[in-house]
Amino acid sequence: MILRFDEFSKKNQNNDDLDNTRRKNFNIFQKKGFPSKKEESWKYTDLKTIIDRNLSKLEIPYKEKISQYEKKWLIKNFEHNQIILLNGSFVESSFKFENKKKFKIKSFKDILKNKEGFEKLKDFFTEHKNSLETLNHALVSDGIILEVDDNYFFKKPLIIYNFFDIFSKDKIINNKFFISLGNNSKLDIIDYFKSQEQVKYFNNTVHNYFVKKNSILKKFNINNNLDNSYNYHLANIKCYSNSIFENFLFSSGSSLLKNEIHCDLLESFSSCFINGVIFLDNQKHHELKTNVNHKYEHCKSSQLIKSVLLDNSCGAYQGKIYVNKNAQKTNGYQLSKAWVLSENSEFNSKPELEIYADDVKCTHGSTSGNIDQNSVFYLMSRGLSKEQANQMLVEGFLNEAIETITDINIKSLISKLFINRISKVKISN
Amino acid sequence: MIEINNLSVSIDNKKILESFDLKINSGEVHAIMGPNGSGKSTLANVLAGKNGYTVEGEILYEGMDLLSLSTEERAQKGLFLAFQYPLEIPGVNTNNFLKTSLNTIRKIKGLKELDSLDFLKIVKEKAKNLKVEEKILNRQLNVGFSGGEKKKNEILQMTILEPKLAILDETDSGLDIDALRIVSDGVNSLRNKKRSFLIITHYQRLLDYIKPDFVHVLMDGKIAKTGCSELAQELEKVGYEEIGEDK
Repeated sequence: MILRFDEFSKKNQNNDDLDNTRRKNFNIFQKKGFPSKKEESWKYTDLKTIIDRNLSKLEIPYKEKISQYEKKWLIKNFEHNQIILLNGSFVESSFKFENKKKFKIKSFKDILKNKEGFEKLKDFFTEHKNSLETLNHALVSDGIILEVDDNYFFKKPLIIYNFFDIFSKDKIINNKFFISLGNNSKLDIIDYFKSQEQVKYFNNTVHNYFVKKNSILKKFNINNNLDNSYNYHLANIKCYSNSIFENFLFSSGSSLLKNEIHCDLLESFSSCFINGVIFLDNQKHHELKTNVNHKYEHCKSSQLIKSVLLDNSCGAYQGKIYVNKNAQKTNGYQLSKAWVLSENSEFNSKPELEIYADDVKCTHGSTSGNIDQNSVFYLMSRGLSKEQANQMLVEGFLNEAIETITDINIKSLISKLFINRISKVKISN
Repeated sequence: MIEINNLSVSIDNKKILESFDLKINSGEVHAIMGPNGSGKSTLANVLAGKNGYTVEGEILYEGMDLLSLSTEERAQKGLFLAFQYPLEIPGVNTNNFLKTSLNTIRKIKGLKELDSLDFLKIVKEKAKNLKVEEKILNRQLNVGFSGGEKKKNEILQMTILEPKLAILDETDSGLDIDALRIVSDGVNSLRNKKRSFLIITHYQRLLDYIKPDFVHVLMDGKIAKTGCSELAQELEKVGYEEIGEDK
């Protein structure tokens, strides 16, 4: 698979700085190629092979295709603000519940257009966690920049709709999301994904979040409406004094999905919570990789991941808690529980602790198992069929993670989507 | 109601019940007593349809071949087992479970499924009679319940599902005196001419509250002795060993 960068570069000239940055990064990517299982952090997701097998015709989009999203794709009966991206391009935003003076929202593409804009964003083109992040620097076409002032609590959640229609077919779509909360502010974001049936593409998005003093950023990833897509989402989060970052992932749609979360707890009393459900059927392959860095004392982090694997699906969780030598009084928790319900399904788990401070409390654990047959018997003895019993037990097992969602409205939205998803799957074991 | 003929049950080639016979007519309450390991719980599990046993012989339930029915079919046809050790089911809300169970059984019976409001009305009333705290119905099924709460929850399920044949497997163990009385009242309130009970217990105490029509002593996989409710009192005095020697 060859990405035709020159063609893209010729038709996408903006300013020299940006063009040079793109070329430099593309050259680095060219040398490395897509990550493969030879790299430790990709040993459960051999992306190079997956791309060679499934996305051999991948191309860089350089001309914007005009298409429209369908209104019926929007979530109903749930009050929310919204940003819409279609095939990776910023379409529109609406913040009807908010005081619009309190934040700035822009499309990434608009900022990139002029030299001054790019100058401001240069810092987001310097990290190289892996070759995909480098590739993202080279090819980023659009995304979101949202800057929230101090002392502003959003009244309603923000749904970022990521829609992909037929024009995404065989494209590699690179986005950057930049969201920063000032001091004493709060925002709930739902990253909602939907693709048109069977449209195959690769989405490579880098998220950068800043959560300043006393602020709360909660993020929910919902991808159950993704179909035959391939996705990599890298999130870099920086948490300052007494702030909270919370991320809940409902990982169930799309052929391939790797979520990678790097959260730095930079100042005291900041916290990071990562919880999620991985529920996979057919041939789906999903991985969650986390890296929570306790860089300062008195910070807290907690992770609970519950997974159920059916058919020929494959799931992986690589969770790491890193405790810097200054990070005394750290409280870190990490637990992964998986049910592997078919002989051909697979779950890989690698919980890791790396601790350099001596006064910390960290626990981690990982289990994998199957549905308890005594529980099935108990439910069947009350008239439920085996399938109903299995369904109820799987739902109950995964519910523990959903119960971590504290906002009632968001919990009920995700619960509904979750039950809808799970009821369409026949669970035998 | 149920007729068990020449029942033999083994697990991993170990015989647990052998040539076991028992007949329970409609409206009768039978008690089975016996020492540890005599096969009481195995009998209950086999009747409810638990896998893992090798079963020979015949069980007729309302004229049907019970052994050919699956666990859920037995429940749907009115057989109920109150578990000795009710299972904890994390993540499953007690009320939701009760509603699903009741509606599945109602559907089979050709009755209209209950909506949440109608269901809650029934549950609240029955829970009140059994002094089951309403708040535990909103908790995860049996998770973190005390021993007494678990047992009461079994009886609550029984009163909601209104079975034809209820098997109570050591429901009295782990209950304090007050709870024992409440549970017994619950059972007694369900007694009628059409409903039968099989009560499995170690102790005569429960039978002071629920007067059985017949008491059977199960020893070494067989019924060693059958009598009326006085047999239970006799057992309490002399113990199982002597009854065994009697034989």
